[in-house]
Amino acid sequence: MNMTMTPKIKLHRAAFPLWIGLLVLLMATGLTAGIIVLLQGLVVTNLTDLVPWGLWIGIDLSAIALSAGAFTLSAAVYLLGWKHLQPIARTAVFVGLLGYSMAMLCLFMDIGRPDRFWHAVAYWNVHSPLWEVTMCVMLYFTVLSLEVAPIFGEASWFKARWPKIAERLHHIHKFAPILAIAGLAFSLLHQSSLGATYGVLKSRPIWYKPSLAVLFIVSAVIGGLALTVLASKLAALFSERANVRDEIIDKVSQAIGWMLLGYLYLRFWDTLGMEYTIEPGRTEGLHILTTGALSFNFWIGELLLGIFIPAIILVTGRLRRQPRLLLLALILTVGGLVAYRWDTNIVGQMVAFSYLPTQIEPLYTAYTPSLIEVLVGLGVIAYGLLAFTLGVRYLRIVDHSMVPEAVEEPVMSEPVTAVSH
Amino acid sequence: MNNNKVGRRDFIKLAAVGTAVTTITIAAKRNPSEAPAETSPHSWAMVIDQAKCVGCGECSLACQAHNDTRENAPWNRMIELEPLNGKPVYAPVPCMHCENAPCVDICPVGATYHRADGIVMMDYEKCIGCRYCQLACPYGARTFNWEKHTGPNSAVPEWGEPEVERRPRGVAEKCTFCYHRIDRGLAEGLTPGVDRQATPACVAACPTGARIFGDLNDPESPVSKALAKYPSTQLRRDLGTNPRVYYLPARREEEEPLS
Repeated sequence: MNMTMTPKIKLHRAAFPLWIGLLVLLMATGLTAGIIVLLQGLVVTNLTDLVPWGLWIGIDLSAIALSAGAFTLSAAVYLLGWKHLQPIARTAVFVGLLGYSMAMLCLFMDIGRPDRFWHAVAYWNVHSPLWEVTMCVMLYFTVLSLEVAPIFGEASWFKARWPKIAERLHHIHKFAPILAIAGLAFSLLHQSSLGATYGVLKSRPIWYKPSLAVLFIVSAVIGGLALTVLASKLAALFSERANVRDEIIDKVSQAIGWMLLGYLYLRFWDTLGMEYTIEPGRTEGLHILTTGALSFNFWIGELLLGIFIPAIILVTGRLRRQPRLLLLALILTVGGLVAYRWDTNIVGQMVAFSYLPTQIEPLYTAYTPSLIEVLVGLGVIAYGLLAFTLGVRYLRIVDHSMVPEAVEEPVMSEPVTAVSH
Repeated sequence: MNNNKVGRRDFIKLAAVGTAVTTITIAAKRNPSEAPAETSPHSWAMVIDQAKCVGCGECSLACQAHNDTRENAPWNRMIELEPLNGKPVYAPVPCMHCENAPCVDICPVGATYHRADGIVMMDYEKCIGCRYCQLACPYGARTFNWEKHTGPNSAVPEWGEPEVERRPRGVAEKCTFCYHRIDRGLAEGLTPGVDRQATPACVAACPTGARIFGDLNDPESPVSKALAKYPSTQLRRDLGTNPRVYYLPARREEEEPLS
């Protein structure tokens, strides 16, 4: 197994503190904006009774979907036994933990009564997809915390300072297969149910279809893998403390490419199949996607840039092995997923359909996030980037030189070249 | 650490923790509102006669006063439809109190629920303000408290006095069929739909008698009689929500007038 070192991009000495400074600044503005929201209420947003779910829900949906690398790779390593993927699964669970905490921050801001966030645990409506999503997100966040705990236990500074706790945390690692099963179950449930959250609503006809649940889980797995690989690659490019094995990157990237083609097929028929019947509300919604306000997002953002081009790059070995094209394809895949979540959330709200017998014209709505919403959103994203940057530096989140942790039996038959840190 | 297998002890520990968590959550879940629903001899419904409605909007003003709603977020909306035979046609739209209510189906915390008499209720103490119900309602009946409702109510006192508390910031709200008037009236031995004080404020306020209220279980109630006598419709019957608000369509001149 040869260890290919990604060539580092030499950054100016000031680059790191500047990067951290920028993120801290964005977080501080986000925090200030968040406090304004808590003090004054959601009236400071551009949300309305007709478009009640906006930017924050878009970030929340994207963050959850892009965290799906964690359950996918954990299942691959600990359930399918593809142990060679363990180093990247480690990155994925950390990214997942950050993604879910970002999603929960957004939801906390978005609900009208954040002081009652715990109500979903206390008062159950098992019939509600959103209840199921909330429960699964909380339970899966617990699973992710347990999956990430050993990473702290392995960090040398942590061991030096708190050897006893480090020992305990490291011990959790032997539950990895059980955690992987739990993570797989919770994720399959809520990643799909997030689609179903929209899919069960007859009131917004463009959403009303069972396939939304399928598309959400499929796109989440693809986007989650893409973000994991992208984050690993970028960390390896910029940080002395990160390194990746290109054969792992290559294998996962190729898989993403083939899955993208499958997803293109599903998305194409699922959406354009609706063109063949006229249904009030749904037809107008479809036309917003294909010829209206969201048409650029749909054709260019989702289909061409988000699926088609990255799929071609990733399935073609010659293209995929060019580092720049690989990075481009991964960025496009992640962007395509965000575009899909954004379009899905917004399109159903842009047509408030008619419920009166003689009122045939549907009511069109519009939404642009307010500055406060944007600042809170940027703050949440900056938090995720900062935590990842610190994770790379102090927890060695992206480190493929580590000997994969033997879970059941030693898997390494070939010696791994140790990299001097 | 060398033995990486999950041992029996670990498994038992894990199972114990799992059982404890499940037990605690199931225990926590039990709460009064999930107690077996009481039964009711009543089944409330509203009939709106579009042939009589002149679109004056007094129902909306009475609602705004009695339920102390914000002016820009009425519980009863007055919508003008396409005219018939040159005469304007109106549709006042309150909450439909659907039998198969999408909002009740999907509220994650059960903050909106059915009473035994069919009224779709809101528990403002439970609502977390996620606004999923606004997306789910096909009739646009729900409004959200984007900010604290302060200041005077322009419909008070001319159209009545507030009978319920203002809702807190951050929760969803909607027409309640004035359940407080119904309950108070029943306790005083009155008949909702017949006695004004026991009837929803919009019905009591209607100057043309276009709004009718009563008990579907009582064949002598005003709603039962009106529905037996005239063809009626519900909004978006195709959705299967089965609203408790019925409409008598605007009729042509030559047709027999109601009552």
